[in-house]
Amino acid sequence: MFAFILRRLLTLIPMLLGVTFLVFVLMSLAPGDFLTPIKMQRDVPAELIAELEREFGLDRPWYVQYGYWLGNVLQLNLGYSWSFKVPVTDLIGSRLFATFLLSLTSLLFAWCIAIPLGVLAAIYKDSIFDRVSSFLAYAALSIPEFFLALLAVWFAAVTGLFPIGGATSIEHDFLSAGGRIADRLYHLVLPTIVLGIGGIAGLMRIMRANFLDAIRSDYVQTARAKGVPEGWVMFKHVLRNAINPLVSAFGFSFSSLLSGALIVEIVMNYPGLGTLIYHSLLREDQFVVLAAIMLSCTMLVLGNLLADICLAWSDPRIRLESRD
Amino acid sequence: MRQPAFFFPGFVCFLCLLLSAACSRPPSPLAELPVVPLSEDAETVPFPPGQHGALFVSTMPGDIATLNPLISEDASSGAAISRFLEGLTTLDPETGEIIPRLARSWDISPDGLQFTFHLRRGLVWSDGHPFTSADVVFTWRDAFYTKQLDPATGQPVIDPSTGRPRLRFPSRPAFFQMIEGEEVQVEALDEHTVRFTLPQVYAPFLLFGGGQDILPRHILERHVADGTLLDAWSINTAIHRPRELVGMGAFLLESYRPGERVVFRRNPNYWRRDSEGQRLPYIERIITRIVGDSNASNVAFAQGLTDAEGLQPDNITWISRAAATHDFTIHELGPSNSTSFVWFNLNPGSSPEGRPFVAPHKMRWFSDVRFRQAVSYAVNRQGVVDGVFAGRATALHGYVTPKNRNWHNPDVRRFDYDPARARALLAEAGFVMRGNRLHDAQGNPVEFSLMTNNNNNLRTEMATVFAENMAALGIRVELQFIDFNTIIRRTSESFNYEAALLGLAGGAPDPYASKDILMSDGRLHFWNPQQASPATEWEARIDELMRLIGRELDNDKRRAAFFEVQEIMAEQQPLIFLVTPNEYVGLRNRWQNVQPTPLGGVLWNFDALWARPN
Repeated sequence: MFAFILRRLLTLIPMLLGVTFLVFVLMSLAPGDFLTPIKMQRDVPAELIAELEREFGLDRPWYVQYGYWLGNVLQLNLGYSWSFKVPVTDLIGSRLFATFLLSLTSLLFAWCIAIPLGVLAAIYKDSIFDRVSSFLAYAALSIPEFFLALLAVWFAAVTGLFPIGGATSIEHDFLSAGGRIADRLYHLVLPTIVLGIGGIAGLMRIMRANFLDAIRSDYVQTARAKGVPEGWVMFKHVLRNAINPLVSAFGFSFSSLLSGALIVEIVMNYPGLGTLIYHSLLREDQFVVLAAIMLSCTMLVLGNLLADICLAWSDPRIRLESRD
Repeated sequence: MRQPAFFFPGFVCFLCLLLSAACSRPPSPLAELPVVPLSEDAETVPFPPGQHGALFVSTMPGDIATLNPLISEDASSGAAISRFLEGLTTLDPETGEIIPRLARSWDISPDGLQFTFHLRRGLVWSDGHPFTSADVVFTWRDAFYTKQLDPATGQPVIDPSTGRPRLRFPSRPAFFQMIEGEEVQVEALDEHTVRFTLPQVYAPFLLFGGGQDILPRHILERHVADGTLLDAWSINTAIHRPRELVGMGAFLLESYRPGERVVFRRNPNYWRRDSEGQRLPYIERIITRIVGDSNASNVAFAQGLTDAEGLQPDNITWISRAAATHDFTIHELGPSNSTSFVWFNLNPGSSPEGRPFVAPHKMRWFSDVRFRQAVSYAVNRQGVVDGVFAGRATALHGYVTPKNRNWHNPDVRRFDYDPARARALLAEAGFVMRGNRLHDAQGNPVEFSLMTNNNNNLRTEMATVFAENMAALGIRVELQFIDFNTIIRRTSESFNYEAALLGLAGGAPDPYASKDILMSDGRLHFWNPQQASPATEWEARIDELMRLIGRELDNDKRRAAFFEVQEIMAEQQPLIFLVTPNEYVGLRNRWQNVQPTPLGGVLWNFDALWARPN
């Protein structure tokens, strides 16, 4: 088990190297750099631009810049944001919570709806309920996230039932503790639905297919034959066996916890990591972009690791051995 | 046996815990600031007395990046900083003259080299600490001019490229407050008098030096000592320690939530009062929501969610429909100070591979003033105003827009839409029509490419109108809508382009701020930047006039010189100006003491605005 975890974590190193290298190359190939916008301003002296280029290392070739950056990362220093002038870790830390919260609620939303729906669709296979739910699932799956987000913003603007963007209302700081939680939840409703709805369809179809597989298996026949009540059969035997692929899917969802909300955040003006990454990318504030990308890569590896561990926990047949 | 179903209740509990942890932050304790009584020297504002306590809600497009004026680059940060910092002088929003702010008055020595400012007495910073000449000296001498020392020798490090000592805190204001690279000597004569000695005569000093935001020595000197001045007053300070953001402005930062909002509270120690002796400002709190872009910000205003908003010309029609419902007025302020223009690449140089930047036959057209004038005559500016801006813009004929009344020359040569004259000029310059295409004397068809940035739809539409106007002359224009950074690189580094359409915003209050654009050695001398010596006689004349504007103290002579610059620019058409959008500001009707001026806008007397508390 320990060897397995260690091996998984070691794969992170070449992966991070490759990804950051790629990002560095791409950002250096893109026209302009962080200082390009201020070059167009009339009251910026040329000396200052030269000074800043020297300070940021932008006057060096990209591979030299990459070498310096790598050296700093090895000393656990992810660098400074050029536009905010604060350590990248502080910057990401200040936005992490909002994104984490949104991803968590949307995950919860998707699972709470997808699993029962999938189970019901399998139990009442080919019924009108099955047909309608799969139709709706495919419809939800085929609407692009950004479009759904735009629709949600429009809905909020027209009806006034929900806030347009933001994570808290302007009265937030003057509310009681309970009021603040309610305010926060109220602002989470629309982004949660938009972000979660795309995931429902996939999860539901997986659940349904697995459930159907399990229903047809011999042990279910056996359980029924020995007179186990139908409900007990479904939940004790079928569900337990059908849930495994979903546990793997959970690992993938976990990996997108901090980066999956990018589009929704931008369109719905939700103050999380996504908006920060997007604006940093536009401004070519490269250390912020690099740190954010490293974060999502790490989350991907950790998410898959977590999924495997969960799988071993939920299914006693699976053993995590290193394949030597 | 544990069931996966147990997972979910645990998950929900965890979520609630997270939420409560996030929401239990108490409001910041700004209320306990010591209040020092108003001094005799406090300024009395000429507005009817109002009532304290109202809440002002606004939006800003884009998050703030910092609250440190030394490193602030974006508009949102600049707006937030200007709420809590002030300078010695400012511009009068009605006349455009320089008027006192933190300085009560000033004397200028006859040779124009010494500026002595007399500070208002008895003023205090927002935390109650006295405001004195030491703060002014600190701002220049320590925050701007501190040198980088070599750790081995203790001597200043010399920059090999300029031969001058390197600054320890290189920043935009630090370079801005040097005159031709030389420092200004600053000394405190007594607690309320400070004298600036300039290395050479520098006419805009009263505005540029006087308008510089003063920094609080008692807060920032430790950051100078430990070398962290540029990292001070970051967003971390705003989030965790807003009380450290001490200023002389009307408001103080109370709290900041990244990506969400900035809250300002009135400065209880502000130095202005009304005629009844009440201390300004009247507004108790400003809540500024951070929204994605200026469209979202306009929408929020139209829905009655905010109190004031700068409105884009293309949004006016639909926003004005909500004026009655949400009880607001849209103030039209006339032409703005944003300009848009087309220019041809007049750079005669060649790339490192020996290829000329512009093909020689095209360079012949572009550098012929008659060609540029013909193009200018053929541009239907009124068509752009009506077609692109729905009438909410003004045709532009010169370098300075009419908004800048003090410096705008209304009598420059105008190139009103006149295709017949354009054709006559082209014929005079040897161009001939063959079929429906224009050809030069050597038989080359006249065509060029015009680039503008793809993320600005007003510019792409203007470029389209421009191309149609050129087509009417028989000139084919190939439009290139490309990334802004690529345009900058091509116009300032590779010079690999033929013509471009760009704009400038935020017209400078003093003509000398335009020296990098107008002077031939300037970095932003768009059509042919950084010339070793002026390429043409008229550019040489502009250089001469700009140098005069830099060192002449007499305002009438400066104005006459700048008027001549504008005349030369209009005659030669190196920049073919198109239009300037008009400026619109929406404001809820509950606000009192509103006196819009073209120069200052609607909110220039923000500290005197009031409304009944809501």
